Amino acid sequence: MVFSSIIFLCVFMPVVFTAYYLCPAKARNFFLLLASLVFYAWGEPVYILVMLFSTVFNYFAGRIITRLKEKLMPVKAKTIFIIAVITDTSILFFFKYTDFFIQIINSTGFSAIPYIKIALPIGISFYTFQAVSYIADVYTGTSKAQKNIINFAMYVCMFPQLIAGPVVRYGQIEKKIYTRKLSNKNTALGFQKFITGLGKKVIFANQAGALWEEILAVTASGNSVLLAWLGAISYTFQIYFDFSGYSDMAAGMGQMLGFHFPENFNYPYQSKSITEFWRRWHISLSTWFKEYIYIPLGGSQKGFPRQVLNLFIVWTLTGLWHGAAWNFVIWGIYFFILLFIEKCFLLKLLDKIPKILRHLYAMFFIICGWVIFASENLNSLGSCIKTMAGAGVPLINNYAVYKLYTNIWLLLIMAVCSTKLPVHMLNKSAGRLKLNEISVFCIKAVFTFIILTVSTALLISGSYNPFLYFRF
Amino acid sequence: MKKPYKIYSVIMFLLLFIPGILVLIMPGRDFSANENRYLDKLPKINAKEIFSGELQEKVSDAFNDQFILRDFMMGLSTSFKKTIGFKDIGGVYLAKDKYYIEKTTDHDIKKDQLVQNLMYLSYFTEKQKAGVYTMLVPSPGTVLSSNLPAFAPFYNPDSVYNTVNTILEKDGIIDLRRVFEKSSNKNFYFKTDHHWTLKGAYAAYSEYCKAAGLKPQDYNSFNPAKVNSNFYGTLYSKVIDFTAEPDSIYAVQTNQTDNATLDCDGQKRTGIYDKEYLDKKDKYAYFFGGNYGRADINTGSSTGLKLLVLKDSYANSFVPFLLKDYSQITMVDARYYNGSILDIASSGNYNHILVLYEVNNFTGEKNIYKFIK
Repeated sequence: MVFSSIIFLCVFMPVVFTAYYLCPAKARNFFLLLASLVFYAWGEPVYILVMLFSTVFNYFAGRIITRLKEKLMPVKAKTIFIIAVITDTSILFFFKYTDFFIQIINSTGFSAIPYIKIALPIGISFYTFQAVSYIADVYTGTSKAQKNIINFAMYVCMFPQLIAGPVVRYGQIEKKIYTRKLSNKNTALGFQKFITGLGKKVIFANQAGALWEEILAVTASGNSVLLAWLGAISYTFQIYFDFSGYSDMAAGMGQMLGFHFPENFNYPYQSKSITEFWRRWHISLSTWFKEYIYIPLGGSQKGFPRQVLNLFIVWTLTGLWHGAAWNFVIWGIYFFILLFIEKCFLLKLLDKIPKILRHLYAMFFIICGWVIFASENLNSLGSCIKTMAGAGVPLINNYAVYKLYTNIWLLLIMAVCSTKLPVHMLNKSAGRLKLNEISVFCIKAVFTFIILTVSTALLISGSYNPFLYFRF
Repeated sequence: MKKPYKIYSVIMFLLLFIPGILVLIMPGRDFSANENRYLDKLPKINAKEIFSGELQEKVSDAFNDQFILRDFMMGLSTSFKKTIGFKDIGGVYLAKDKYYIEKTTDHDIKKDQLVQNLMYLSYFTEKQKAGVYTMLVPSPGTVLSSNLPAFAPFYNPDSVYNTVNTILEKDGIIDLRRVFEKSSNKNFYFKTDHHWTLKGAYAAYSEYCKAAGLKPQDYNSFNPAKVNSNFYGTLYSKVIDFTAEPDSIYAVQTNQTDNATLDCDGQKRTGIYDKEYLDKKDKYAYFFGGNYGRADINTGSSTGLKLLVLKDSYANSFVPFLLKDYSQITMVDARYYNGSILDIASSGNYNHILVLYEVNNFTGEKNIYKFIK
C-alpha cells in the first residue's frame, strides 16, 4: 500500500490509528505489527514471507550473539555475526542484483546465463539495512538484543518507514518500544507533519514528475537547451519532494504512534557545496553507510590513500543501493569524485567566493547528478547531457517557452518550499505578532486542511502518481 | 489549552474516515456520465486474486472511483491546476473563448500509419468505377490555432496534407483547409466536444457538392433547429471544469430526416435521429444513434443516385445534408465493420463514394486496411 492513495488515507489510516489509540498499552506493539503486516501484504502478498524470514532470522541471530558474548565466546559470537550479515546481504543481493550481475557476466561474451527476472520485494533495502544495523549494534554492544520477538518484528516491519525509509537504527527507538507516551499534542502535530508530507508528494512531486515525464518523451528534433534544463530541474524537484514527502509522512505517523524518527532531509537544496548536500540529503542512509561501512573500513584513521579507497567503496555502494544499474554506479562515483575534489582543495576555495555562486555551484552539480540518476540506460544519459550542453539543438524553442510559462508558478513555489524560508517566515511573523503555540497550531491547521483537500482532489482525479521506490 | 489538538485530530480523522466508510456501505455507482466511462466497483473476494495482488489493486481503484463527491473533487483538481497556471489538463488545451482543444503534437502524428492508410485508400480508389472523393477535415486545433495558449505546441497540418496530396489522386481530394481557416469561421467546432458543429458540417457539404457536381442548397433551407443546449462533450469529460459552458446542438430538419428508413447493422427504423440520446451524456449520438459498422439509408428522395460514405463519427452530422441528393446512402465505419468494404463498393452500384474523416483520426486509424480486405 502506498501512503498517497485513497485506500490508505480513508480506510487504513483512520482504522489503524483509532484502534491503536483504543488498544491497551501492552498490546500496542502486537497490534502495530499486525497492522504493518496487513499494510505490507496489501502490495506484496507473497514477498511478506521474505520479510518474515528476515525478521525471525535476525531475531535469533541477535539472541545467539548475546548469549555467546555472555558466555565469553567472542570468536563464536563473531562467526554468528558474520554469518548473519552475509545472510542478510545475500538475500538483498539475490533479489536486487542477480540480474544485473548476470548481465555483466553475459556482456563479456563468454556466456549466456538466463535472467532470473524476479521482482524486487518492496522495502527490502530498507528493512535489510535496519536488520544489519541491529545485528552490528548487538555485536558491538551498542544495543542489547531484543528478547521479545513481537517487539523485534514490530521494529523491522513497522509500516511508516517500511517502504521508503528513513532507515531507523534500533538504538534510536529502543526505549520507545517499551514505553511511549501518546498525547493529543503529538497526534495532532504528527498528523500535520503527515499531511505536509502528503502535500509534498501529491501536490509538488507528482506535478513536477508529470512535467519531467512529458519533457523526457520529447524527441531530439523537438528539443532545446532550455527544455532539457526545465526537465532536469523538474526531476530535481520531483525526487526531493517525493522522497522527503515520504519521510515526513513516515515521521508524522511515527509521532502519532508515540515514536520519534530521526530527521531524514534538512533542506538539501540550500546547500553551498556537495559535501554539505550529503549532510542534508537522506541523512539516515548516509549515516548508515558512515557507521556501518566507512568507519569499520577504517574511515580516515588509516592514512590518506586508504581513506580515499574507503570513500570510493562507500560511494559506489551508495550508488548501487539506489538501484541495480550502471547509471546508479556512475552516480555514486560522480559524487565520490566531487566530494574528493572538495575535500582536497575546493571547499577552501569555495569559502572565498560569494554565497550565491556557491549555491549555484552546488545546485548545478546536484541537478547534473539527478540527470545521471534518472537515466536508466547510458544512451539516453548521453543524449540528455548533449542536449543540456546544447549540442545539435537550439537554445530555446516554442515548446520550452510554453512549458516554462505554464509551470513557472509551480517551479517558483517548489523552489521556495524546498528552502527553510516558509517555516522561517511563519516563525518570524508569529514572533512579531506575539502568537502563542496554539495560535500557530491553528494557522497550520487551516493550511493542512487545504493541503489535504487539494491532495485528495488530485489523487481522485487520477493525476500522475508514480511510486519511485520499486528499485530501492 | 490542550483542546485544539484533540479537536483538530478528531475532525481530520473524520474527514478521512467518513468518505472511506461511505464507499464501503453505499451501493456503488456503475457509470460516470460526467466522465463518460464505467467506474470500478468493489470486487468480490477470491483467494487467487489476493495472492497475486490483483484484488488489492481493484479495491484501491474502486476507492478512487466510488469516492463521494468524486465529480466535485475532479473539478477541484482542475481548478487547482488552472490556478497555478497550467494550460493543458489531461491532454486537452484550455483554449481561449472557453474552447477545449485536444492536444496533438508532431510527436502524436503517426506518419508511418498515415502513409500506409493512404496506400490502402489509393489502392481502393483505383478499383472503383464511381468517383471517389476524399475529405479529411482539419483538426480543431489547426483551425482554431489562434485560440490555443501562446506557444502551445500543435502538429503542423501542412506536412500531413502534403503527404495526402502526394499519394492520392489530385482530383479526388476535397481540401477544406481554406474554407475552414477563414478567421470568421470560429463556430465550426464544439467548444466542449471533439466534433464539428452543424455549421462546420454545412461548410463541408457545400465543398462536397461543388466537387461532386451537385447543387448546394442554402443553409436555412435545411431548417436547422436547436435540439439541445446543454451539451458537455468528450473534451469536457477529460478536463471536468467548473467554468465550462455547454454547447448547443443543431440538426437539419427536413422531410427526409423524419421519414428516411434505415437499416443499421440489422436494426431497422424510421427517422435518422435518436432523441433518447439528448437526455444522456453522449448527445452527439443524437445523429443516427451513434456509429454502426454499416448503415443503409433509404432517403425517400427520387434522384436515383447512390452514395457510399466511408467515415468516422464526423459524418454523422454531415450526411443529413445529403439526404435530398441521394436516394440511397450507405455509411460504413471501418472500426465497427469486419466484412469486405471492397465488396460493398463493387456490389452496390454507387454513383459516388465519399471518404470522410477528421484528418488526425484518419492518420492514426488502424482499420483502413479493411478498405481493401
